[in-house]
Amino acid sequence: MLTLTDISKVYRTTEVETLALSDVSLAIAPGEFVAIMGPSGCGKSTLMNVLGLLDSPTGGSYRFFGEEAAGLPEARLTQLRRDNIGFVFQSFNLIDDLTVAENVEVALLYRGASATERRRRVGEALERVGIAHRARHRPQQLSGGQQQRVAVARALVSEPRLILADEPTGNLDTANGDEVMRLLTDAAAAGVTVVMVTHSLVHAAIAQRTIKLLDGRVVSETLLAA
Amino acid sequence: MFRNYLAAALRNLARNKLYAGVTIMGLAIGFAAAMLIGLYVRDELTFDRFLPDHERIYLMTSTVEMPGAKPIETKLSQIKLAERLPLDFPEIELAGRLTGAYFPPTVRRGETVAAEQSLYYADENFFRILRFPVLAGDLEHALDTPDSVVLTLGAARKYFGREDPIGQVLLIDREPFRVTAVLKTLPSNTHITAEIFASAKSPQSPISRFGEINGPVDTTLSTYVRLKPGASPEAMHERMAAFLDRRFPLDALNRGARTKRDTQFLALTQIHLSPSNQEIFNSKSAVDPAILAAIAAVGVLIVVVAAINFVTLMTARAARRAVEVGVRKAAGASRRDLVVQFMGEALLYVAASGILALSLAELLMPAFNAFLQRKMTFDYLHDPGLGLSVLGGMVGIALLAGAYPALVLSGFRPAAVLKGGPVATVGGGGVRQALVVAQFAVLIVLTLVAITIARQTLYALNEGMRLDKDQTLFVFSQPCSATLRDELRRLPGVRAAGCSSAEAMNLSTSHDDASVEGRRASISRAPIDFGFFEVFGVKPVAGRLFDERRPADAAMDNPDSYQPVILNETAARRLGFKSPEAAIGKTILWHGFWDETLRRPGPVAWPAKPSEIIGVVPDFTLGSVRQPIEPFLYGIGRLAPPSSVSLAVKLDGARVPETLAAMDRIWQRVGQGRPMMRYFVDQFTMRLYVDTLIQGATVAIAGLIALVVAALGLFALSAYTTERRTKEIGVRKAMGASAGDILKLLLWQFAKPVLWANLIAWPVAWLVLEWWLSSFAYHVEIAPWTFAAAGLGALAIAIVTVLVHVLGVARSNPVAALRYE
Repeated sequence: MLTLTDISKVYRTTEVETLALSDVSLAIAPGEFVAIMGPSGCGKSTLMNVLGLLDSPTGGSYRFFGEEAAGLPEARLTQLRRDNIGFVFQSFNLIDDLTVAENVEVALLYRGASATERRRRVGEALERVGIAHRARHRPQQLSGGQQQRVAVARALVSEPRLILADEPTGNLDTANGDEVMRLLTDAAAAGVTVVMVTHSLVHAAIAQRTIKLLDGRVVSETLLAA
Repeated sequence: MFRNYLAAALRNLARNKLYAGVTIMGLAIGFAAAMLIGLYVRDELTFDRFLPDHERIYLMTSTVEMPGAKPIETKLSQIKLAERLPLDFPEIELAGRLTGAYFPPTVRRGETVAAEQSLYYADENFFRILRFPVLAGDLEHALDTPDSVVLTLGAARKYFGREDPIGQVLLIDREPFRVTAVLKTLPSNTHITAEIFASAKSPQSPISRFGEINGPVDTTLSTYVRLKPGASPEAMHERMAAFLDRRFPLDALNRGARTKRDTQFLALTQIHLSPSNQEIFNSKSAVDPAILAAIAAVGVLIVVVAAINFVTLMTARAARRAVEVGVRKAAGASRRDLVVQFMGEALLYVAASGILALSLAELLMPAFNAFLQRKMTFDYLHDPGLGLSVLGGMVGIALLAGAYPALVLSGFRPAAVLKGGPVATVGGGGVRQALVVAQFAVLIVLTLVAITIARQTLYALNEGMRLDKDQTLFVFSQPCSATLRDELRRLPGVRAAGCSSAEAMNLSTSHDDASVEGRRASISRAPIDFGFFEVFGVKPVAGRLFDERRPADAAMDNPDSYQPVILNETAARRLGFKSPEAAIGKTILWHGFWDETLRRPGPVAWPAKPSEIIGVVPDFTLGSVRQPIEPFLYGIGRLAPPSSVSLAVKLDGARVPETLAAMDRIWQRVGQGRPMMRYFVDQFTMRLYVDTLIQGATVAIAGLIALVVAALGLFALSAYTTERRTKEIGVRKAMGASAGDILKLLLWQFAKPVLWANLIAWPVAWLVLEWWLSSFAYHVEIAPWTFAAAGLGALAIAIVTVLVHVLGVARSNPVAALRYE
C-alpha cells in the first residue's frame, strides 16, 4: 500500500520558491493500476519522483508499503528503491554504452545476485517483452518502441512491487504505445502496482483509476467502470 | 558487476576518442616525464651506494680560514693526512688517497695516444677502501708497485681493443706502467670520474713530487678513510683540532694561531650532495639538494598538469553520463557504488596512460642518458622497488585525480537527470576554471624560470666574465714555453698570446697573507706572462700593465724584493686603498710565487718581501660567477710547472681555420709528442655551468611538456564548451550577434583563466627566481619584460589552441544551432 498524506514539495532557489505539490493525499492499493494526468507543470513528475523515492517531500507523510519514507536517510531510500521499484521513462534512458542485455542487467547489479542468476533473469525478462533476439544490440540500433520494451524489461527484471512509468508512450507511435501498455497491464495483472503518468486519455482509460492534478493539487479521481 | 562497469567504461572510451585520446596522451606524457625525472633524482641521491661498506667510508674535507678572509671549504686535504690520521685515530681501518695530475698526462700505446684528463693517481689503499667491481686482476694489490696502473673497461678497450691488457704496458708521459687490473665500467652514479688509476708511488705523481713540501694548510688531494665497525665520526671529530695541531702544526707562513682550520668526515654517500666552494677535480660536480628538490618538484608539477587535464575533461563531460548515473541510482545503486565505478574508470585511463608512458620513457632513455651523461635504466626485474614506486605513483594519481570526477558524477540527482532532454552542466565549473588557471600558472612559472636560466647562463658565459673572450682560446701546455708563445705570436692570424697559470685561469688558488702599510688582507696570487692581459683586452684602471721592454717587470731573483705586481680592484679595496690610483707606486709585502724550480725538501716558510704596485686592473674572472671574484695579485712568473699550464691566444678572427691549422703544425714540432689540447674560452668556461645547463634544459623541457599537455586539455575543453553553447550561440546570432561578437565572447572565456594564471604565477616565479639567482655572486636582474613575454605567450597559446573550435561555431548557421536540441 502506498499512502500519501498532505504531501507538499517546495523547490527553493535564492530568488524563487516554487510550490510543486500542495497537500496531496492519496492511497494506492497493492496491484492497482493508476494513471496520473494533468497539464504541463502541474506536478505530475514531482509526484512520481516522490512516489519513486527519488525525491523527498518537503512536508507530509508517505507510507511506502507500511514504512514511513519521508525523512528516511538516502541509504535506506536507495535500498527500498532497489528492492521494490522499477522505472519506465518517456525518453527510455537506456545507457548507450551498454548492450540491451547489459542495460536490463543494471537493475539486478546492486541486489547482490550472482552472475548466473542475473543472466537467467535477464533472459526471461527479454523474452517476456519480446526483445531477446536483440540482446547484444546497442540502444542506438533499436527503434523507439524496441528501446521502450527494453526499458520495461529493465523495470520488470527485478520483480518489483511498484512500477512507475512516466509518460511511457510519449515518444512512441500508436502501435508501439499499445504494445508497451500491454506489458504494463500484464504486470499489473500479475500483482505489480503500476502508477503511470500519461497525456493520453486512451491509455489512461486502461488504468483502474485516473488521478488528475492541477497546480500541484489533486483535483479529481475517476474510477474505471468495472 | 565489474564486467558491466568495464563494458561501460571501455565503450565510453571508444565512443569519445578525442577526449579519451587527449586525456590518455596527456597523462602518458606527464607520467613519462615524471618517471625520467624521478629516475634522475634517484640516481643523484644514490651515488656510491653500490660500493661495499659504503656506510663506513668517508672523505676527509677541510675548512681553512685565513685571517681577514672568508673560510674556504674544500673536499681536498693535505697530502700527508692519510699517513698521519691512523697514528692518532685507531678507529680508522684504512686511509687512502686519490689525486689528479696537475696537467693531463700523455698516455700512449702504439698508435693510440691521448692527453688523458681522466687519469688519476691512487695509492695502494684506495681500491681497498673503494672496492669497485673488477673484471680482471687482483684489485687488493693492484697499485702496490710504482709502475702499476688500473684501467676501467672503457680505457682498456681504448688502448688495448679486445686484447687482454693485464700485464701489458701503457706509456704515461713516456714512463712505462703495467696494467694490473681492469674495472667494470663505473656506473654513472659514482662521484669518481677517473678511467685510469696510476700508482701514486710513481715519481711523476703529485704525491711523490710534492708530498714533502706540502704545507699544513695546503689541501691538494682526496683522502678517503674506512672506519672500523661501530666507530663514530662525531666522536673522532672532537679530537681533530688537537690532531691537526700535533701533526700539521701551523707556522709563521700560515699565520700561526690566527688561522682557523678544521678537518671533517664527509660520508661517501653524501659527497655528491655536498657542494662546496672548491669541488674536487676528480669527481662529478656536486648537486645542491635544494636544486634537486626543485627538479623533483618540476616532475611532480608536470604530473599535476596532466592530472588536471583528466579532472577537467571528466567533469566537463559529466553531463553525458548523467542519464547512466540516474538510471543506476534509480535501480538502487548507492553513491558508493558509483564512486567505485568511476574510480575504476580513472584507473583504466591511468593504466592505459601508464603503459604508454613506460614505452615513451624507454624510447627516450638513450637520449636522456646522453644529455645527462648517465647510464640509467628502468630495470624492474632487479629493482622491484622502482617498479612498485611507479605502480604506486600511478595508482595514487588515479585515486587522487579520479576522486573529484567520481564525486561529481555520483552526485547527480536522479530526479534531475531522468526527465529527459539536455542536461545542464553539473559539478564544479568553478573548480574546472581553477584547474585551468593552475595549469597555466605552472606553465608561466616554468617559462619564466627557463628564460631566466637561459639569460643567466648567457650572462655567465659573456658579460659575467668581464673580459673580451671573442676569438680567444687556450692551448694547454705544461709548462707553457717561450718557444711556443713566440712562434704562435708570429702567426699572421694571431693578435696576441701570453702564457697563463692555473691560478690566473681560476683552475686553482694560491692564497697569501699580504699587507700594505700595516693593512693586511688575504689575496690570491696568480703568476702570468707578458701579454696575458692584452689577450683578454684587459686595460688598467690605474697605472700600467706589465711591459716586456721593461726587464724589471720580470725581476724574480732580487734578494730584497719580489717582481712588481698588478692588483685587481677587489684586492686594492681589501688592502685599504681609497681608489685604484692610490695604489700605484705603493709597496706591498707578500710571499712571492712558488714553482718547481724552487723546490726545497720539507715545508718552507717563504720570506715576505716588498713589491711595487704598478697597476690596478678591473675585476674579471675565468671561473664561475657563482663565486665572488677574489682579490688578485698578478706578477710575471716563471714558465715552469706546476702553475704554468697554458697559452692564451687571441685570434684576429679573419683566418681562423688556417690559423688553427698553423698552430697545430707548430705544436707538432714543439709539443714533444703530446696531443694538442686547445679549447676556445667558451668551451672552456662551459664546463663550469653544466649543472646550470642541465637545470635550464630540464625546466625548458618541462615547460614544453606542460605547454603540450595544457594545450591538449584546452583543445578538448574548448571542443566540449563550444558544443555545449551551440544553442546559446544560435540564439545570440538569431538576435543579431556577428561572428566577431561570438568570437570575442568565446575567446574571452578562455582568456580569463590565463590572465588569472599570470596573477598567481608572477609572484611565485619572482620568489623562485630570487632564490635561484641568489646562488650566484653575479647575476642578471629579474627582468619585467620576461613576465610580460611569458604572460602574453601563454595567452597566445591559449587563443591559438581554442581558435579552431571557436571559429567553427562562430561562423555556424544559427538555424543548425537552434535545431541542435
